[in-house]
Amino acid sequence: MSPRRHLLTAGIAWVVLSVLGVIVVTGWQIIPVIASREAEIENGAFVLLAAASVPVLMFVVVGLVYSALRFRATDDLAEGPPVHGHTPLQAAWVASSLLLVLGLFAYGTVGLVEIRGAQTADFEVNVKGEQWIWHYKYPATGVVSTELHIPVGRRIHLNITSIDVIHSFWVPAFGVKQDAVPGRPTQIYMTATDIGTYPGMCAELCGLGHTSMTTTVVVSDQAALDAWLTQQLQAPPS
Amino acid sequence: MIAAARPSFVPGPGLPRAVLGAVIGFAVGGGGLAAAGAAGAAGLAPDAGQILGLGYLVGLLGFLLGIGAFRFWLTWAAGREIDAAEEHAAHGRAGDWRRYFRFTTDHKVIGVQYLVTAFVMFFTAGTAAMFMRFELAQPGVATSKDLYNTIMSTHGAMMITVALISIVGGLGNYLVPIMVGARDMAFPKANALSYWMLPLAILLVVLNPLLGGFDTGWTAYPPLSQQANLGQQAYLMAFVTVGVSSILSAINFLVTVFRMRAPGMSLMRMPIFVWALTVTAAIALLATSVVAAAFTMLLLDRLLGTSFFRASRGGDVILFQHLFWFYSHPAVYIMGLPGLGAILEVVPVFARKPLFAYPLAVLSFIMIGVMSFMVWAHHMFVSGMAEFFHIPIMLTTELISVPTGIVFLSALGTIWMGSLRFKVPMLWVFGFVWAFLIGGITGVFLADVPTDITLSDTYFVVAHFHYTIVGGTIFGLFAGTYYWFPKITGRMYDERLGRLHFWWFTLAFNLTFLPMFWLGIEGMRRRVADYPAEFGLVNLFVSIAAVNIALSVAVFLFNMVRSWRTGPQAAANPWRAQTLEWQISSPPPVDNFDRIPTVTATPYQYGAPGPGSPAPAPAEGGLAP
Repeated sequence: MSPRRHLLTAGIAWVVLSVLGVIVVTGWQIIPVIASREAEIENGAFVLLAAASVPVLMFVVVGLVYSALRFRATDDLAEGPPVHGHTPLQAAWVASSLLLVLGLFAYGTVGLVEIRGAQTADFEVNVKGEQWIWHYKYPATGVVSTELHIPVGRRIHLNITSIDVIHSFWVPAFGVKQDAVPGRPTQIYMTATDIGTYPGMCAELCGLGHTSMTTTVVVSDQAALDAWLTQQLQAPPS
Repeated sequence: MIAAARPSFVPGPGLPRAVLGAVIGFAVGGGGLAAAGAAGAAGLAPDAGQILGLGYLVGLLGFLLGIGAFRFWLTWAAGREIDAAEEHAAHGRAGDWRRYFRFTTDHKVIGVQYLVTAFVMFFTAGTAAMFMRFELAQPGVATSKDLYNTIMSTHGAMMITVALISIVGGLGNYLVPIMVGARDMAFPKANALSYWMLPLAILLVVLNPLLGGFDTGWTAYPPLSQQANLGQQAYLMAFVTVGVSSILSAINFLVTVFRMRAPGMSLMRMPIFVWALTVTAAIALLATSVVAAAFTMLLLDRLLGTSFFRASRGGDVILFQHLFWFYSHPAVYIMGLPGLGAILEVVPVFARKPLFAYPLAVLSFIMIGVMSFMVWAHHMFVSGMAEFFHIPIMLTTELISVPTGIVFLSALGTIWMGSLRFKVPMLWVFGFVWAFLIGGITGVFLADVPTDITLSDTYFVVAHFHYTIVGGTIFGLFAGTYYWFPKITGRMYDERLGRLHFWWFTLAFNLTFLPMFWLGIEGMRRRVADYPAEFGLVNLFVSIAAVNIALSVAVFLFNMVRSWRTGPQAAANPWRAQTLEWQISSPPPVDNFDRIPTVTATPYQYGAPGPGSPAPAPAEGGLAP
């Protein structure tokens, strides 16, 4: 077979597999539970990156598999063609990979600004990490708890601190994760979109009890939240 | 006679005296400090950490004095003539096994020392991984969380060291001088010194569980690392020692490459493996001092009451992360580039084609080296560092995939239309391309801030860096070890066992780490001894696959040991390769070359000229007759 025929056959295989792969990937919800605006944005980023990865993956895989099948040595002394390079191909490779990553960077920047850009909120909670438990304080009412309760559909500000080592506050369903750093408060801004109860945890190794440093987050409507806050004020602190 | 000429205060060389020196040194340093404290001298009341610190420092000095690391320099400094016969004897005699246990200055001996040390560490740290997979096979805690943290941290610390030293110290030391046409490294004594700094440091890491272990992982983030046990301090001191050794060896490589090349060996005729090692050495030289400084500051915080990283007294814990990753991300390329170099060295030989786009590959290595210093903070996207800093770091991190991608262009371009021979080294090349590709693609998800917020500190990260470090370094190490085994030992390995090792390892490796991407996306955190029950089945699957990695490595070990002892004699050039090391006998003579060769072309003049092609390649692999 001529070099051109080899390129054509492998090229067709690449295009077909890439198209199939992109179709499969595009339908996916990659983050398993999505309960916030931020997680929704991140899931979109996952799908786009996965779709962009498919042609790259297929290009290399088709190249490898096709070569392994078709370019085996015919005898002990057989040699390949003495080709040292191909300038247009090399230029095209560099240019296309450069364009691809610049595109991904632009998309990533837009997503980053969407997630972390607007630093305003209408409900505030102080989150405090301690080996090995999360504490919450609601400054508007003075309520303290070890369960996080937030309203649905409103912009939340979590002001995160740590009193001992570095922890990391993570609620997978919200797509938010932020280290709790001693001596340096950090912030999360987010909007929960679905009422429910979600697991949260510490994501940064913080010593012996790191594994069991988990927490619960309750998203409810404003009325239910207000009722809970009032009840906490009346109940003796546990 | 030689012994009589030696000044009486210089200890004689040898491993027994080195051990004695270490014990005496530890006793003098640590014991002296403790005794001074007990006597109440000058109000000293040293704690265990300070005793361990000074004891280790003086003990290491005693060890190096005992092994004979300083004897020539001390003689020279004392104004005496260095005994030429003793200096020559330190080079080692061919066929003498004892040279591997001495302060031997032959770069080939040092290469084998590094390589064997690295593989012993690889097996040890692999055993630690087996323990981890045992604990993680089922939800719940079967052993103890504390033990898990310590074993996990030790596994990481040791594997990082394996990745740092195996190809650079092992294959690099053995091959770079020969490949550039030199008789040894530029500084043979400093070369031996950089190896002999390691055994005590490695021992300290292995023994850290006896000192209470450490639970921070290899990253040693304060404040956790400030409150952790003595085992933590042992790790910090050991890592600084490895760093000093690494800087010393980097200087040696750079001077060797730039000053010791044979006539005609212009920079653009150097084998790609030498280029990889050159860039690696430049990174190691420039970056390592930063982590050594960070770890030293941490040690000072622990031992002498400073507050570099103590938030309660005005220190900054994020500063540590910046310093740590300013080294430790470039370090990923210190681990990876030598593997890429080994792979690209193997490809043309088994594809019987010139290395595709050699000048571009060299440029890409240099670009990787430069850019590796600009991407460190992508490890800190959720750390609370300055908000604006996410954007430039995301850009540089994604841009570095352009030069890294050129490695794929070179490998694929060489393979395409080649005349492929699937000997064991070539199998590892194919395994490498797949594994490193998965590592690269998943890296983009971690470089992108929106997806990284979800993925950071999960098993996705664990899977990603195993695909890059095992895919890049370990696959490259295996490819290189099989490829150069006949040169180093003078014997052939067993091809069938090699194939078994490759297929078993590669299959088990993928079955172990591919499911971890899923675990990470589903929300399983890294560095935990326990996990939600719903991940139980996948973790059991991963654990079983991981055991298979260990079993396949046992095949490798058996093959290497048996072939080294009883394998068939290897020819000087069994692969018909064109680099210089294949133009001399297997194993090479002690002084490498009878006559320094003259080089006339790049070592990639493969390929049958078709009609209308340029003149045939020069005979003897680019060597002038």
